[in-house]
Amino acid sequence: MSIEIRNIHKRFGKFNALNNINLDVPTGELVALLGPSGCGKTTLLRIIAGLEAADEGSILFHGSDATSRDVREREVGFVFQHYALFRHMTVFENVAFGLRVRPRKTRPSEAEIHRRVHALLELVQLDWLAGRYPPQLSGGQRQRIALARALAVEPKVLLLDEPFGALDAKVRKDLRRWLRRLHDELHITSVFVTHDQEEALEVADRIVVMNQGNIEQIGSPQDVYDQPASPFVYKFLGNVNQFHGRVHAGKAHIDTLALDIDDHHETDNTPAHAFVRPHDIEVLRERGTQPAFSAVVSYINAIGPLVRVELQRQDNQSIVEAELTRERFRELALQQGEAVYIQPRNVRVFLDVPN
Amino acid sequence: MAKRHHVLPGFNLSLGYTILYLSLIVLIPLGAAFLKTTELSFAEFWTTVTAPRVLASYKLTFGASLIGALINAVFGLLTAWVLVRYTFPGKRLVDALVDLPFALPTAVAGIALTAVYAGNGWLGSLLEPHGIKVAFTPLGVVVALTFIGLPFVVRTVQPVLEDLEAETEEAAASLGANRWQTFHKVILPAIWPALLTGFALAFARAVGEYGSVIFIAGNMPMVSEITPLIIITKLEQYDYTGATAIAVVMLVISFILLLAINGLQWWSSQRNAKSAE
Repeated sequence: MSIEIRNIHKRFGKFNALNNINLDVPTGELVALLGPSGCGKTTLLRIIAGLEAADEGSILFHGSDATSRDVREREVGFVFQHYALFRHMTVFENVAFGLRVRPRKTRPSEAEIHRRVHALLELVQLDWLAGRYPPQLSGGQRQRIALARALAVEPKVLLLDEPFGALDAKVRKDLRRWLRRLHDELHITSVFVTHDQEEALEVADRIVVMNQGNIEQIGSPQDVYDQPASPFVYKFLGNVNQFHGRVHAGKAHIDTLALDIDDHHETDNTPAHAFVRPHDIEVLRERGTQPAFSAVVSYINAIGPLVRVELQRQDNQSIVEAELTRERFRELALQQGEAVYIQPRNVRVFLDVPN
Repeated sequence: MAKRHHVLPGFNLSLGYTILYLSLIVLIPLGAAFLKTTELSFAEFWTTVTAPRVLASYKLTFGASLIGALINAVFGLLTAWVLVRYTFPGKRLVDALVDLPFALPTAVAGIALTAVYAGNGWLGSLLEPHGIKVAFTPLGVVVALTFIGLPFVVRTVQPVLEDLEAETEEAAASLGANRWQTFHKVILPAIWPALLTGFALAFARAVGEYGSVIFIAGNMPMVSEITPLIIITKLEQYDYTGATAIAVVMLVISFILLLAINGLQWWSSQRNAKSAE
């Protein structure tokens, strides 16, 4: 079932939690709402679920207006960050809850409930825990049970609020891959909230980047990473080096350097910020034909597939971060304290918006 | 058997102290009461404790205490709910008001209740034209016992409700449960042990209450006379053995009732564990 979000506004007192949000989630897609804490992503998710009411705007499920529909009638499955399992019920009863509370007419028989709960527990690979109580489970197991419980009512839409936020790094990684596979099996329209960009980039079909109650960008993981629409998105998704300078006739002037850029050919001497990802910083022993800063290697971290090098520019002492492959690093044989040249590639420029 | 090592030192000393303390404060006085009654022959004992006037007072004391505790269980739960779940101006004041029956000298409470519920009092003058008499009737006893028992339920349930995540209620709603189902399948099982404890405490306090009741009860024999008052009356008449005989009966009944409530608690937790398998 598709979700359409139309002109949603939400205020908490004087705080603008959501500013005119418009978003379409097509059927069967897995969408991530990504942003820092306080950006309104959880509020938006709760409004979709019907746990919170918007001040203005409407929510459409499959084209029909669901704005005034109660959470019980929205047919959504909601997974909470802290699981919200019923502590006094067994795993089995937790999953069966949604079926047992149905009116007698639509309630499945006891045998049918049994069958469905066990099928769901098998789906989350925890059938052997049916008789346990939630406090006896690990965090990862609890969250999988919470997911099974949400799926038991056969929701049309699955909403997950920071589902892996309370888990440790290793379990997070396993669970998000598992969630991706599960989604590929079930094809249920899903929206999940996260502040972890790595998680969003790995799991989602589409990412909605939010900041201060606004949507900054909507796009595929590739899009938002490679073509960030705003400085915020650039900074939020991965590491980035930021330079301050001016743009004039298709060139970015950063201190002593004039870099070629693809756009802004008509721009006339406007203050701007330039962004360069660390892996787009070329480190050279000799000055090449392209413009480059001279810098000193101030720190080397050679753990992992990429070598992280911090370089201090000699003109204004600011730090530039570079990521080199291990091969390139060996080739250069960099040592701390050595003088090198750094050459930015793929520079992306955003003109400063006058306030 | 090898000597076991405890992480916490001083087990023997602290256990010894606990037993000594409990003996001095609780067991010896109670034992003395039992010992005193042995001065009576069984026949004398039986006549004393089954006199019609005394029987009527048992009925009133335990009946009114039970009703008061039940009323408190319902409305105390509601009060705790409101105090935990909502914010409103004056909330801290309301929170403090709950403790007032604890702090107030019981005689003051009795006089205040009597003044309000008497035929010429604020509430009494409104109720009496409708044929509802509160002061100097068993109903007045119930009112007084409800008053003094209120804090017990609120204060035992409140922390448990605070611990209960609002998210579990939202989870229940998103799974299609209506409000009643959410209350009785999700909230009530979680707070049930605390509610029972609060009920038991309110009940126990009400059974032993004296000060606030004697003013409003009117103390008419066979109608509105509570057992503690009979004990006092007997003491004033220097009938010490008679007084202790009745005290022993109250003690035994109270003990059995508290045991039953504990049993109920144990049974409900067992039932929960059973449905696990």
